[in-house]
Amino acid sequence: MTLAENLFENLRLELRRGCLTLAVLAQLKQEHYGYTLRKALASRGMEIDENTLYPLLRRLEAQGLLTSEWREEDKRNKRFYRLSADGQEIFVRLLKEWNDINTAIGNLL
Amino acid sequence: MELLERYLDALRRHLPWQRQDDIIAELRANLEAQLEDREAELGRKLNDAEMEAWLKQLGSPLQVAAHYQRQQYLIGPALFPTYSYILRLVLAWATAIYVIASVVTIAAQGFGAEALAGISLLHVALRLPWIWLINAGITTLIFAAVERAGARFPGKIYPLAPMTPLWSPLDLPPAGAGDGDWAKPRSFTRALLEVFAGCVFLAWLLFVPHYPFLILGPGAWYLHALPYQLAPVWWTFYWLVVCLNVFELAWKLVDLARGAWQRPPNRARRLSMHALSLVPLCMLLAAPNHVLFLLKNPATDAAAYGATVASANKGVLQAVSIIVAIVVLQLLWGIGRASLDAYRKHEAAK
Repeated sequence: MTLAENLFENLRLELRRGCLTLAVLAQLKQEHYGYTLRKALASRGMEIDENTLYPLLRRLEAQGLLTSEWREEDKRNKRFYRLSADGQEIFVRLLKEWNDINTAIGNLL
Repeated sequence: MELLERYLDALRRHLPWQRQDDIIAELRANLEAQLEDREAELGRKLNDAEMEAWLKQLGSPLQVAAHYQRQQYLIGPALFPTYSYILRLVLAWATAIYVIASVVTIAAQGFGAEALAGISLLHVALRLPWIWLINAGITTLIFAAVERAGARFPGKIYPLAPMTPLWSPLDLPPAGAGDGDWAKPRSFTRALLEVFAGCVFLAWLLFVPHYPFLILGPGAWYLHALPYQLAPVWWTFYWLVVCLNVFELAWKLVDLARGAWQRPPNRARRLSMHALSLVPLCMLLAAPNHVLFLLKNPATDAAAYGATVASANKGVLQAVSIIVAIVVLQLLWGIGRASLDAYRKHEAAK
């Protein structure tokens, strides 16, 4: 990887980091367990690495933005996540922030 | 499947013990579901090579487990600027204290054994990296503990972070307190006052030998009664100090006459004065037979006061060697900073 590519990759990751949380919160209006959430996000163009997504879900739950529940599905115990009431409120605010940034960037371009 | 079990087992060892069962159970469910999907796509089970490639792509157990740690760095970005600043201070002070203490220890061993002193100095230099390592290690451990405490009790441990409510612009040093180009221009009154103060000091210095009470106060009357006197080397020291003061005063007068009084003394000038100040001190260190004090009447007083005068000679020489060590360190620090600034300026101009 050249220096320019490396720099671009770092900046891209930095740009994506905040968006990932927003994408996860958006998708978790419906209940999902880790793998199906990942598939759902990927099918909408938001690919997330397992090592990023699964720990992120736990962090968001620890922060009170998600609730989780262990349940059996297809003869396997899975942990299902869903947006909590606090998460819903934060999501609305983050979405507004994201839209404002988008508008500002649009105005600049 | 067996390889997946081995992978999860290895991963478990690196996870926080309180949550490892929970994390592994969730990860197993996700990975097994993912594996089933891949096998359904292929219409067969993954062979060993494919399984190995898949797990390799997930990342090593240590790497994956690291994502589940609450804290993924030793010292975070909020604390790092303070850590970096304190670390530099600690290393500078540790070096200064260690070098001064070592020089004093060597001096205390005696000034006659030059060869021994050389070997001791070599030991001091060789031990310096360990001093740096130990001090850096301790500082890092303290900051890592603060970082950890900050992560555990968010919002409660913040006084060390630079962007905290405790910070205030009022705490900043006055403008122009820096060196070189940043220094504030001097007023004419200040330059004039400096010359005046220099003249008064020089006059005082010139009168001191004739009127010792100017330096010793009422204690000067006891000088006549004491059985000791200063060695001739003190006269050399005295006239060198006078010369230094005359030189500095003349420089200030020339500046005043040329209208260059606005310019604060530049770094090179201060460094050269600093270096020159070493000359009188070194004269004392080089006193013949290391004698700074003599008995007025050695024939009659040697038995009673000989030991006292020898002890005074040793003590004062040690004190002078400490002062020389401090001055040399200050000089080296000044030269180092000046060189670094010059290098940075040169690099910035490229």
